[in-house]
Amino acid sequence: MNPVYPVNDYGPLMPGLVMAAVAIVHVFLAQFAVGGGILLCYFQWLAMTGRCTTARLFVNGYFKILVLISFVLGAMTGVGIWFTSIQVSAPTIGQMVFNFHWIWATEWTFFSLEVVAGYCFYRYHDQLTDRTNLTLLGLYAFAAWMSLFWINGILSWQLTPGSWLETHSLTDGFFNPGFWPSLFFRTIVCMTLAALIGCIVVNVIPSLDRSEKQELINRAAHLMTPMLAMPLLGGWYLLSMPEDSRSWVLGGSPAMMLFFMISVGASLAIGSYALIGLWFQKLYINGATATLLLFMAFGATAGGEFVREGSRKPYTIRHVVYSNGIRPQDVAELRQRGCVADDPFPVTFESNLPNGNIELGAKVFRRQCAVCHTMEGANAIVHLTGTWDTDQMRMNIAKLQQTKPFMPPFAGTAKELECLIQYIRWVKSKRQQNSDEDISQETLERITHWLDEAGTEPADVHGVSTSAMAAREGSSW
Amino acid sequence: MNTTFPFGFQLPLAFYLTIYVLTLVVHVVLMAYVLGGSLWLTWASLFPGKEKTPRTMQPVARLLRDWMPFALSGAITAGVAPLLFVQILYQQQFYTANLLLGWRWMVVIPVLIVVFYLLYVVKSRAIASWALPLRVLLACGVATCFLFVAFCWTANHLLSLDQSQWPTVFQSGNAVTSAITLALRLATWVCGTLPVMSLLGLWQLRGMRSRTAKWDAEEALVGTSPTEWDYRFSQENRRLMILSVAGTLSAFIFATLYYSQLDQKVRHSLTGSAGFVWLMVLVTSAVAVILFSLSRRKKSVQELSTLLGLTCAQLIQLVAAASLREVIRLTQADLTAVTQNAADAFQIGGFAVFLIFAVMNAGLITWCIVLVKQK
Repeated sequence: MNPVYPVNDYGPLMPGLVMAAVAIVHVFLAQFAVGGGILLCYFQWLAMTGRCTTARLFVNGYFKILVLISFVLGAMTGVGIWFTSIQVSAPTIGQMVFNFHWIWATEWTFFSLEVVAGYCFYRYHDQLTDRTNLTLLGLYAFAAWMSLFWINGILSWQLTPGSWLETHSLTDGFFNPGFWPSLFFRTIVCMTLAALIGCIVVNVIPSLDRSEKQELINRAAHLMTPMLAMPLLGGWYLLSMPEDSRSWVLGGSPAMMLFFMISVGASLAIGSYALIGLWFQKLYINGATATLLLFMAFGATAGGEFVREGSRKPYTIRHVVYSNGIRPQDVAELRQRGCVADDPFPVTFESNLPNGNIELGAKVFRRQCAVCHTMEGANAIVHLTGTWDTDQMRMNIAKLQQTKPFMPPFAGTAKELECLIQYIRWVKSKRQQNSDEDISQETLERITHWLDEAGTEPADVHGVSTSAMAAREGSSW
Repeated sequence: MNTTFPFGFQLPLAFYLTIYVLTLVVHVVLMAYVLGGSLWLTWASLFPGKEKTPRTMQPVARLLRDWMPFALSGAITAGVAPLLFVQILYQQQFYTANLLLGWRWMVVIPVLIVVFYLLYVVKSRAIASWALPLRVLLACGVATCFLFVAFCWTANHLLSLDQSQWPTVFQSGNAVTSAITLALRLATWVCGTLPVMSLLGLWQLRGMRSRTAKWDAEEALVGTSPTEWDYRFSQENRRLMILSVAGTLSAFIFATLYYSQLDQKVRHSLTGSAGFVWLMVLVTSAVAVILFSLSRRKKSVQELSTLLGLTCAQLIQLVAAASLREVIRLTQADLTAVTQNAADAFQIGGFAVFLIFAVMNAGLITWCIVLVKQK
């Protein structure tokens, strides 16, 4: 059983939103760093082979931006995402660290190489030969891409753990079904972002005339040509997803579908603009257009990350941890013992709770719902249950995984469920209504019946069943 | 805990503890350079001295300004490894402390981002034309940011040790359960950064002096004679040596006071079989640092043997301090759970992958440095 962690209240924001904000910014910056390394190698090669004389000017200017943005913001938001993950779901990040700590440690050795190679180039490039500079940039680009390689294995494992669920082999977990499509797709995204930022940099170099700018822009845009493969890789990635997750992206969940379409639409617009321009050899992207395209790329990244996070529901790690931090194999026991029986932390986000039942309900809300929902703010429970009467609420929450298949099963006793409903009703009544202290035996029996009918397994019937997983209870994961 | 740390434990726990301590030491070295360096720059800005060249323009301050952005980048990168292993060993304690501090913990990130950019401002040539109060403000701002981060880490660590206080802290929102303990522990670490920073400064001064031609040419441009240049080096060496002695002594005093605040059980473990050897190593290496520093304080450039001796003593001191830190933590932790965490993690594959790439990347990092040295 996982330990019970304190849950912080973020007011009208749910912790998941905080996580999404930090994650999107970090992914965007980290991908820019990876693509930036590749772009710089290309331009250094162009400069030293005499193919493009102004490329040298670009390399020097671009690398300063890369250091100031990527080394500072990229590195810090990387640590930030770790801290935020702990705030949002300590059990999830705990499982990821536990299962992949040597992979993470390996990634760390590449971070170290990236920092040293990058700084060596940054400090000494004007005193070094072209060949040495290319070597340093090559090492920087290699280290940056390898950091993507390692983290990609861990992130894709969250959605598609594949045969790891049976074998627990590190290789199976790392090279999971989503690994390769995700890696190739992300590499293309990295190159696209680097090329777009490259276009902005070209536009702000004052000593270049229009034809020189056009030449550099065309060269930078070469890194966008792999976008042609995006539809194929996107399709491959979708096919690697579990069927239920894929169905939410492709229309099952309106929000996810919307973000998916934003991502696809923005990528299509960027790709078309660059490729058509390159095809007719008339590509010229001025600073304003490049910035606009970069914003669209940010939108595409945000949409893609939202879809990646959202499609894992009801899990944060498929079949290992639910989005509320409860493990599938613990649900049956929590139905008996209660989900807040071991929770030592008092309720602090509400004051003047009228009675013990409502206080218990508030604790249940905090343990099971607060990661993804607020009571009255973003994704508010009061609004989501607004049209349900009390009995519907009891049944719908007792059969939560059937009511909404992307929700985890309720993991508590019948009394805890009833208290949660009393708490919701109390908040709905503008915190005025004072419900009865007593809960009738008949109500509890009805809820128990619904809980039993729903069972303790999640809604997804494809993939591994949790009963099979429960057989491994007691194993270390 | 009946044998010297970490030998009394089962292999998995001893293994992870050793890796944690060693990676922490690497992080602490770079962190010390940044924190100690920011304090040096603040002192140099506040008290520019009566010499022709203000202290902010003297070799150590110039080296610090030049290298601190890289050192911070290195400190953050090096910090990832101990941050990883602390989650293997003390997952519940670390996560709960993070959560109890909440936004007060998360704010470390924006503060570090701000101070990172401030370091680039400090490094830039443009600030030479700034008014003195502004430059002083900038130096103080940088040091305050680093001290704040150090304060957050200390608060987090102390909170993680005191499991019985967690519900109370959650209810009250007051993350500092004992202000005096926190202040003493923080003071110990802050003072402890000074000798490490001094040592790195001495190495850099030596490197700077060996590239005489380059620096002499630069100094000749601003009208510094070779005699003045030698004098400056000698002054800076002396200052660093004195700082090293003062830092070691004050860290020792604060550590003794911190020790007096500890629970009797914890004190027994420090003076008992788990910690005694490390305590002796710590004291001996501290004495060695002080004696080395005092005896060589008048040299204008330190000999290689002196620096190597000081480096060994300093590293041993850091390993001893980090080991004693873990003895304190393990005495207060649920040892059965910590042992189980390590044993479970030990079953997970991937160590060979790590080892191969660690060796490969260490080689590539060395290659980068060799390439740059050949310039």
